[in-house]
Amino acid sequence: MNLISERVTADDYDEAIELFYDRHWTDGLPVVLPTPKRVQALIDYVKREPQESLGAIPPKGGQATIEKLAINAVMGGCRPEHFPVVIAAIEAMLDPAHNLNGVLQTTHMCVSLVIVNGPIARALGINSRDGVFGNGYRGNGAIGRGVRLALWNLGGAVPWDTDKATMSHPGEYAFCIAEEEEDNPWRPLHVERGCPEGSSAVTVFACEGPHSTFCYGTPEEMLHVLTDTMCALGNNNLHVLGQTLVVLNPLNAEEFAKRGWSKDDVRRYLWEHARRPIGDVRACGVVHEQFRKMERDAGRYPLRWDLDNPTTRVPITARPEDIHIAIAGGRSYFAAVLPGWGGFGGFAVTRRIP
Amino acid sequence: MIEFLSPVWPDRADARPPKKRPASLEGVSVALVDDNLDIPFTTHLETLMTTRYGAKVRRLVKPSGTAPSPAALIADAAEADVAVVGIGL
Repeated sequence: MNLISERVTADDYDEAIELFYDRHWTDGLPVVLPTPKRVQALIDYVKREPQESLGAIPPKGGQATIEKLAINAVMGGCRPEHFPVVIAAIEAMLDPAHNLNGVLQTTHMCVSLVIVNGPIARALGINSRDGVFGNGYRGNGAIGRGVRLALWNLGGAVPWDTDKATMSHPGEYAFCIAEEEEDNPWRPLHVERGCPEGSSAVTVFACEGPHSTFCYGTPEEMLHVLTDTMCALGNNNLHVLGQTLVVLNPLNAEEFAKRGWSKDDVRRYLWEHARRPIGDVRACGVVHEQFRKMERDAGRYPLRWDLDNPTTRVPITARPEDIHIAIAGGRSYFAAVLPGWGGFGGFAVTRRIP
Repeated sequence: MIEFLSPVWPDRADARPPKKRPASLEGVSVALVDDNLDIPFTTHLETLMTTRYGAKVRRLVKPSGTAPSPAALIADAAEADVAVVGIGL
């Protein structure tokens, strides 16, 4: 075996588990022990060189080698067949557009969500239906936690040090879903984003936890509720744009499609109507203004909205395309809105899974 | 006996040791790295360090508050005895 990581020993299981806590090698929960045999099984499955690195994980710069990723994936509960998804998710997060360095250290609560598309999601039993953001499914839990442990142990942004999240959210333990593709009238998310039909892929997007959205009825009624939820004054998007995610349940999507709405029709409506009068936005205070000025100075806030005109209604993203729409959850009354970090980064990145 | 593998990246053997922390700021060169989000605050900090503690402050501005400073700016700041930086926008 060509594994070069330090080998650590413990007398028994209990001592080993405590050792992971003592060395801050775990996120607060016990781990599956990354024995050489378990780690090798993951590496053998993907047939990649153990010392191949996907890059340095910020902020501390540990290398995301296949070996180190496999160790952390095992700790999170991954079986070998889960490992290609973990690798693709880390590859996507390391794309500069995602600004992982900022996502991991910001005071905002955003966490990088992993959305899995394609045949692999169904093959691995990654939940896309009832309770999609919740517990109960090994694929969601193990892949989600394997990714987070890799960021924890190789990136080293921990809450008593450089992870400055004021609130954070429970997705820091595991934040992985699948998109529902069978009960979905529209093209899957990864195909919209350029992947071939029938392929498998992950899309990562740094966002808040899901905001419940009581969303049921005609398209106009659903859009009325969604737009209001999307432009809450507390969202970063309203102040500094960026991207946002809307998760419609399959019944929502079916209702839209039956009335002739495409996903792009929904997206454009949301972009045109999820807006607030500039007076509402200004009333939030001077700090919000300073952030907006900083984004303008950095060239990330387009000048096409006249913020000195009191009739201006401020959008939450610069373009309709910055509103991502995925289909997941049960066939019921609720959708979810997951606001992003703003114009600072955390943007959606999609990577194929071989 | 159970054997398992370390999940962390080993510390670099050639990592530069931290500079010695000065006993006071009197006459000390300080690199004050800012993102210009709140210029009055940084100016106030500079004034305090200069007038009250006798530091020699040089302001450096990073292009974005949400991304790491460029390598040249970090090298520039490293020339000073002390650097003040912020994280976590």
